[in-house]
Amino acid sequence: MNTLNLPERWRDAVETVKRWSRINSPWALHFNSGSCNGCDIELLATLTPRFDLERLGVKLQASPRQADILICTGPVTRLARERLLRVYEQMPSPKYVIALGACAVSGGVFQGCYNVVGRVDAVLPVDVYVPGCPPRPEAIIDGMVKLLAQLQAGEKEKPG
Amino acid sequence: MNAFDSLTGALAALLILPGGLALMLIGLIYEWANRKLIARLQNRLGPRWFQPLADVIKLLAKQSIVPAAAHPTLFALLPMIALASVLTSALALPMLGLAPAYAFPGDLIVTVCLLSLLTLCLSLAGFGTDSSFGLVGAMRALMQLFSYEAPFLLALLGPAAAAGSWQIDVIMRYAEANPWMLFTQPLGFFVAVVGLMAKLEMAPFDAPEAHTEIVSGPLTEYGGRHLALFRLSKDTALVIGLTLVAGLYLGGIADPLTFLVKTLALLVLITGVQALFARLRIDQSTTLWWRYVMILLLVQWLVMMVSRG
Repeated sequence: MNTLNLPERWRDAVETVKRWSRINSPWALHFNSGSCNGCDIELLATLTPRFDLERLGVKLQASPRQADILICTGPVTRLARERLLRVYEQMPSPKYVIALGACAVSGGVFQGCYNVVGRVDAVLPVDVYVPGCPPRPEAIIDGMVKLLAQLQAGEKEKPG
Repeated sequence: MNAFDSLTGALAALLILPGGLALMLIGLIYEWANRKLIARLQNRLGPRWFQPLADVIKLLAKQSIVPAAAHPTLFALLPMIALASVLTSALALPMLGLAPAYAFPGDLIVTVCLLSLLTLCLSLAGFGTDSSFGLVGAMRALMQLFSYEAPFLLALLGPAAAAGSWQIDVIMRYAEANPWMLFTQPLGFFVAVVGLMAKLEMAPFDAPEAHTEIVSGPLTEYGGRHLALFRLSKDTALVIGLTLVAGLYLGGIADPLTFLVKTLALLVLITGVQALFARLRIDQSTTLWWRYVMILLLVQWLVMMVSRG
């Protein structure tokens, strides 16, 4: 990946700046892979002025090309699986996934249904799980902050 | 001063201050001021002061994906042309209140044209990526360009006619010596401000990138460093447009302090309007420009001609 042959100290400095910018500007993309809409309403409530995620730098993007974090709600249905994968692959790396709600974490009440593949991490690598049915906005913000803290600690270094 | 010194001086003026780097940084700070003010008007806390900088660095450091349907050279070239044209348009303006770097008769027209090149690059980006959202966004951007461009240019030509010159430098000196043209040509000022908002695709005129309808319009397929360049050029265009309108209508820009005060005052005005109005449909904004604003401008020009005798 490193095409420039920089000295070690300079490379570290560049990495620090990159990590700082990544932590301070997480743009989110919301995908509903078969949710009952409960989690989606709570996610939208999180973006309202009362909670205001923009103070953490979070912006809801409409295009996967511009997003860093995929927030996935609901169990993955057989129909949604392909779309979910396509949306995930359209995102440029480094990219992260948050599974939002009981169904995304474990399949919830839809577990074992004939039309459901299962929980989100059966399809995608998930970084943060936010349980709840539906999770409150505070829980969603907490999940977001936990993801950013992992980035800060350098636990989520991925190639790209 | 020998040739080498003058060359490095010119390069520093172009790349660092007042051109290039300084211009982009001011653009980022103005974007923050705009976003923060909107957030406060919506009763939110809003972004932190370094937010636009973090956004741009993050985008620059991301993987860049070129869609299979897009022409790879054109895809990469369009954001560069956009940024280059916007930066070039700053040459004839008294950026930061310093003397313009390169002034010549008729530079007002060239500056406005270079600013339009940004919109043109945006819509070409939308056409070129073979995405239906990009296509609709590009059509809307061009439609809007055809609506506001002529009135905006006519509104900027009002002060030019009063000063008897098409050179921004000369007009601004005239504006400093005479009463503010905000008061002598109020209709022209109104049109120039609204035209600036349309040019920057701000709230009532953001149909080309309506997030709730067409994803991100022309920039739907753009991400990573290409998107970063487009964002930088939009921010720089914001500063340049503010300088242009403030300089012509608010009594010229003589030093860094008046630059800050006048452009920021204009930014506050624009942000207030932005927070106040909902998005216009594309046919509504075309109607607004050709049916109402154009009439206002013609009245303004009639009054000017009659009063001059």
